[in-house]
Amino acid sequence: MHKLYINPLPVRIWHWTNAFGFILLIATGLQIRYLDLIQVVSFRTAVVAHNWVGFVLIANFFLWLGFYLFTDKIKVYHPELSPTKYFRASFRQLKFYGYGVFRGEPNPHHASVYSKFNPLQSMTYQIIMMLVVPVQFFTGFLLWDVARFSSVVEMLGGVRVLDTVHVLFFIFFTGFIFIHPYLASLSETPWAHFKAMITGYEEVEDEAETARSA
Amino acid sequence: MKSSWIADKLIPSSSQRSLILAGMVALCLSIPGTAVRAEDGDLSKETAACLKCHDKAGLEKKLENQETLSLQVSTKAFVESMHSKNDCEDCHSNIESKTHGKEKAAIKSKREYSLSMQGSCRECHKKNFAKYEDSLHAALVKQGSQEGRKDAPLCADCHAVHTLRSVKIIGPIAETPCAKCHEDIFKAYSKDVHGLERVAKGKTAPICADCHKTHDIKAASLGDGIKDSCLSCHKNAVAQHKDWLPNAALHFEAISCPVCHAPAAKRRVNLRLYDNAAKRQVSEKTGVPLFDSRTDAADLQNVGLDERALLSLLREFNQGGIPGNTVLRGRLEVSSGIEAHQLAEKSKAIKDCDTCHKVGAEAFQSVSLTIAGPDGRPLRHGVQKEVLSSLQATESVRGFYAIGSTRIKLLDYALILVFLAGVGGPLAHMTIKWLFRRVREKHVAEIRAELAQARTQALPGDRPADDDASR
Repeated sequence: MHKLYINPLPVRIWHWTNAFGFILLIATGLQIRYLDLIQVVSFRTAVVAHNWVGFVLIANFFLWLGFYLFTDKIKVYHPELSPTKYFRASFRQLKFYGYGVFRGEPNPHHASVYSKFNPLQSMTYQIIMMLVVPVQFFTGFLLWDVARFSSVVEMLGGVRVLDTVHVLFFIFFTGFIFIHPYLASLSETPWAHFKAMITGYEEVEDEAETARSA
Repeated sequence: MKSSWIADKLIPSSSQRSLILAGMVALCLSIPGTAVRAEDGDLSKETAACLKCHDKAGLEKKLENQETLSLQVSTKAFVESMHSKNDCEDCHSNIESKTHGKEKAAIKSKREYSLSMQGSCRECHKKNFAKYEDSLHAALVKQGSQEGRKDAPLCADCHAVHTLRSVKIIGPIAETPCAKCHEDIFKAYSKDVHGLERVAKGKTAPICADCHKTHDIKAASLGDGIKDSCLSCHKNAVAQHKDWLPNAALHFEAISCPVCHAPAAKRRVNLRLYDNAAKRQVSEKTGVPLFDSRTDAADLQNVGLDERALLSLLREFNQGGIPGNTVLRGRLEVSSGIEAHQLAEKSKAIKDCDTCHKVGAEAFQSVSLTIAGPDGRPLRHGVQKEVLSSLQATESVRGFYAIGSTRIKLLDYALILVFLAGVGGPLAHMTIKWLFRRVREKHVAEIRAELAQARTQALPGDRPADDDASR
């Protein structure tokens, strides 16, 4: 066993701010949308909180973007720039989650400082961080003051279209918030990834140990 | 060309006018003892002469339609009126002095007579008359000449010409001429916050003309309504709303003031056909009644337009023009003029967001499609309320959305499915893992055995080194 520093401080700050922020956004979003079913806080409080948390997370997004753009850690998303290898490895990872994990096969991905994500994670996170999250923040920003941005809102199809997109991604994040921690628990020990996201260090088994523990 | 037929109809030519003037002077001089009384102020001799006869009580004329037209003009009231500086002949320029009072002039009806006098008003009040001609009132008058509508207001219907006093003099609110036609609305107004304050404080509180203007009157439910009138007095309203109301500017745009400030009012969604290029509500051209024919064809059962009918109707209105130029813009408003005049005190205004943002909110139970009719009044057709929460209407009703209350139902089902998948997926995965625990243990045991065997096989190869070492 050896320790790897795979989650630098900015990433950990970003991750937990994002995690709690998104939980708050989902909770306030549910309160805003389902006033007839949920009455934990008032509609207005939920809207104001939703807006503030949204702005915090937009700033937080730029912390994440800045960190990866201005450090060499961006490599974690593309350890090897080989699409064929990338897709094959993704399929192998998918096979592991859908079959190998039940049979006790070892995780095909071995974390390192510049390859902390398995290919499936890397692909999913890139789609989320470069498409879903920006679109969600952008639509949320426009919906924050529709009249101020009326020309952009109109150009994009109107307030109803924007809201529909915002809600569709909200639905996606609601699913993500359940699936993500579960997949994180499928490591060597259920809490290993959670601890790594707190301390920054992940305990990585040597190859022989991996085979033994499998 | 702007129609000015009311004015043109009965204005006498200048030569006629000179003749009449000469006649009136002659008539005046022919009456002995026409000295103007001191209390009559600056009345000319000619006017005083007219009033000498016309101030007599009971002076009246039977008209062709059997109506009785009072010919009495109170000298006292006239002297106090805004028109006291005018001579009778300034307006009644068509009277022939030689025959006046001797020969019976045929007048069909009071209405016909008022109509014939419109031109006289225009002579002096050019600006206001031009505004009036562009107003909903004048449009109704014109329509009346074609379709027999006889109650649209003419100048004299609002202004008592012989007793007209300065607008600076505040009379009892009941004297407001608007009340004659808009009786129900006026009753509502007289009991609402503006009406009560008008009685209590006078001019500081608004009366009809302060919000609806005097001559260039438009239908209050078209366009942005009279929001600007509200804001002209309540100047800080936008800033004050921004202090507590999220998306305040949007609320100001999409909701009429009485929706919240007349808390007892019934509300409705008004989907307005809007011309994006002209930046105004689509209006129907005179003589081309497209709206009724198209909406009736799209809603044969007369149960209200559904999302498909609404979309195809919108496409029809876009045909032959710029694609996508005509759009629907939604606005929440109160359902009638009476309800728009039930304004309550500020403290009683609706501030609870739940009123509108909860599914099933009363405000979204009634929906109508509107354009401006050729006479300036709105033309409406009912729309099914389900349209507001339909995914299919995302394109057609794209400009109107109230969070929560008009949410798209299909997205609710999607959320339930994703939630179930989010919780159920990991649970199912965990269950399968638990069910496979023996397979896993067996597999792990096999791997360990293989590793152990591999180590054992590897040991002899290591021996020479060991041997060397021992040596």
